[in-house]
Amino acid sequence: MAAEAGTIARPLTTSSVAAANPLRAGLASSRISDPCNVVFFGASGDLVKRMLIPAMYNLRLGDVLPTNFGIIGFARSANSNDEFRAQMKEAVDTYSRSGEARDPLWTDFANRISYVSGDFDDREAFTRLRAALEENDQKLGTQGNRLFYLSTPPSVFGKIVAQLAVVGLGPKDQATGWSRIVIEKPFGTDLESARALQSEVGKVFEEKRIYRIDHYLGKEPVQDIMALRFANVIFEPIWNRRYVDCIQITAAETVGVEGRGGYYDSAGALRDMIQNHVINLLALVAMEPPISPNADHIRDEKFKVLSALRPISVDHVPKMTARGQYGPGLIEGKPVPGYREESSVAPDSTTETYASVKFFIDNWRWADVPFYLRSGKRLARKTSEIAVMFRGIPHRIFGESGDQIETNTLVMKIQPEEGVSLRFNAKVPGPKMHIRAVTMDFNYGTGFGVVSAPAYERLISDAMRGDATLFTRWDAVEAAWEAVTPIMQRWSESRVVDFPNYLAGSQGPQSADALLIADGREWRRI
Amino acid sequence: MSVHIDSIADISRVLAQLRRTRTVASEGEIGSGARVATLNFIVFVDDPEHRPWVLERAQRIADKHPSRLIVLDGTSSGSGVDVSTSARQTAGATVINERVDVAVENLDHASIRSLTQELTAPDVPTVLWWSGARLLQSRTFKGLAELASGVLVDSSGKARDEETIRELGEFVARFPNVALSDLAFMRLLPWQDMIAQFFDDPALRESLFSLTSLRIESGSEAEALYLGAWLGSRLSWEVADRDTFRTRDGRLIPFEKIQKGDQRRVLSVALTSTDSRYLAALSECDPGVACLSVTGARAKPTWCMPLQSIDNTSLIERAILQGGADRIFETSLLTVRDLLG
Repeated sequence: MAAEAGTIARPLTTSSVAAANPLRAGLASSRISDPCNVVFFGASGDLVKRMLIPAMYNLRLGDVLPTNFGIIGFARSANSNDEFRAQMKEAVDTYSRSGEARDPLWTDFANRISYVSGDFDDREAFTRLRAALEENDQKLGTQGNRLFYLSTPPSVFGKIVAQLAVVGLGPKDQATGWSRIVIEKPFGTDLESARALQSEVGKVFEEKRIYRIDHYLGKEPVQDIMALRFANVIFEPIWNRRYVDCIQITAAETVGVEGRGGYYDSAGALRDMIQNHVINLLALVAMEPPISPNADHIRDEKFKVLSALRPISVDHVPKMTARGQYGPGLIEGKPVPGYREESSVAPDSTTETYASVKFFIDNWRWADVPFYLRSGKRLARKTSEIAVMFRGIPHRIFGESGDQIETNTLVMKIQPEEGVSLRFNAKVPGPKMHIRAVTMDFNYGTGFGVVSAPAYERLISDAMRGDATLFTRWDAVEAAWEAVTPIMQRWSESRVVDFPNYLAGSQGPQSADALLIADGREWRRI
Repeated sequence: MSVHIDSIADISRVLAQLRRTRTVASEGEIGSGARVATLNFIVFVDDPEHRPWVLERAQRIADKHPSRLIVLDGTSSGSGVDVSTSARQTAGATVINERVDVAVENLDHASIRSLTQELTAPDVPTVLWWSGARLLQSRTFKGLAELASGVLVDSSGKARDEETIRELGEFVARFPNVALSDLAFMRLLPWQDMIAQFFDDPALRESLFSLTSLRIESGSEAEALYLGAWLGSRLSWEVADRDTFRTRDGRLIPFEKIQKGDQRRVLSVALTSTDSRYLAALSECDPGVACLSVTGARAKPTWCMPLQSIDNTSLIERAILQGGADRIFETSLLTVRDLLG
């Protein structure tokens, strides 16, 4: 169950204890000082193998994990501790960014991994889980601190949380230590199901203990949005309706559904991307300055701006949105099938693989500035970015006839490039006053020479630390669902006749272009 | 692209050549040639044997951080000035590094300072990596240190450990506004953390105040001196003599320094208290991992820790990025001076 006796018991380390150690003064360490257990539900799943265990191992390699920690996998598959450890080693060998697991560190790490087999409504199994946690507390010095990570379909979140409460693993039953729960997206499939889910989880865990993960928010460039805005003086004065013409937020992928056809066909681009990742980016770029970096201060501002999203009435949905579905086409010169030919997708599916939405934010800063959001699969290029497009100059005095004076654009690049670029106009050297737009680039990799850690590593360590800044609070989740609900409603009611309406490898459907053309604007090229 | 100029007499020619090579390197870029200069990185080397080691690491740093690398070559290996620019693609952006190698063996300190000042790019921090044989006894060093916001040295690995450390103490006093980093001290961070870890456990903390001896095995003396001095200064021990500390209640703590293993590497640290022994030692299977154990009355089973970024390039990089003075280092430095007498 827990680690073998006598192998890895460790000195206890907590923030307060470490602070009392005179040798700690001035000693830089990125290590999380609270000891804890991390329980992965759905431990035999792909996410645990591809992302979560490699992330934990890399946190260990980076000396970020606390000195006293334990990992427990919980899933239906019947496995012994050793079998599960062997599977996790294979996962690290295959997927870890640091390459194959190495001894003696792997053995030390593996000795802290244990496994509990059972169904998510099996009380006996949860009782065994409790025993495993208590054993770890004794042997590994994890002090009753527990992070429950639900890497499972949302349909079983309620069952897991209920069983935790039944066997006394809920926070209210804890005499010592803390309990937190990490929930993977999607949080619900619509507003109603999200509220039902919140109600179930909320019965056991208070909001401050719930960490709703959106791995997009763990990406370094997403975190830099706030730094760019609030650690510089030059941007904030022009970050408003007076200078900004529109904001375009793009999350474009070249991949198709990648074996997730079953899930994706019931979700679509609006639910899968716009409702969470893309709206979260909108909140970060549009929110007011928080009064401190405190998680709740930041999340208060995000909620305020999402609350100010102008509701799109069902009748206005056609004017404010566009949807599409890819047909066969070429990606990087190679033919790819259309969405309806993907496995587990209905041949007459009307699920959108592309969604674009025009939002307005009804507040003083952003009144009448359109926020164009788009996300799609099988598009021309993989790119995620936020483009702040500024208004044109009020009076032209430079430039030869024929020179086009472009408007300034500030682009926050999230992936695959990570950085910021600013496009502005400059004089072309020579006797004439030709003006041409040039780009000034900042790139994370080259600017700092530091490789960003994968988002999951950052987010898991934040949850262990109790820093909820990069996790989505319920009020923001609810506001995001409220914003997209009329669109979902209209799209489900109106029959789609033109799907597929864009070629794989293209810029998306023409209807999306029309959305901007009607406003006298155009999308940035993907 | 690389161009050789016979004389440093005309610095403007060197700078013009830098501009030309940069333009050629950025040909094909849309809009402006991308360049994000993060620092001037001045490297001084005067030991022919050490030269390849230093230059290889300097280039690695320069490759990673878009910079103007100015190599002041005090060996007889170079002549005149070599100006080179390299461009590389990273995540869709072109990064251009500039490098100027100047043969300074036959130049006086004033000329070296003057030409270096002219060669540095404005408005970016200037870091000096000094691998010369002497510090404050060298007028070249003093001249270059005045141009720098940060100075990086490595007091470890040579017969001059002691003398260098003495000079570092003096440097801190004379250049309070320049952030000084010694790779020998920076290499010790994981070891300091491991020693501290033993006593994070409240049940073991009292042992910290009943330590009876300290034994450090390392490939060069600077590491042992610094680590012992760090521990002593944290616990308010006084220096009794070169091999002994004295606690505040007057107990003597023997400090044994064993020279063993590769230069610049610590092999093990052993602390003994009245009833237990605390040992942190490099793993025999993986030099990137250390194993810790407590034996005796407060025995604990062995556990392992990764040793973070102690390779020289990482340390140099950290020194460049951290900026600012390190008060813990400075306090330890003063204790080392006391140990050396």
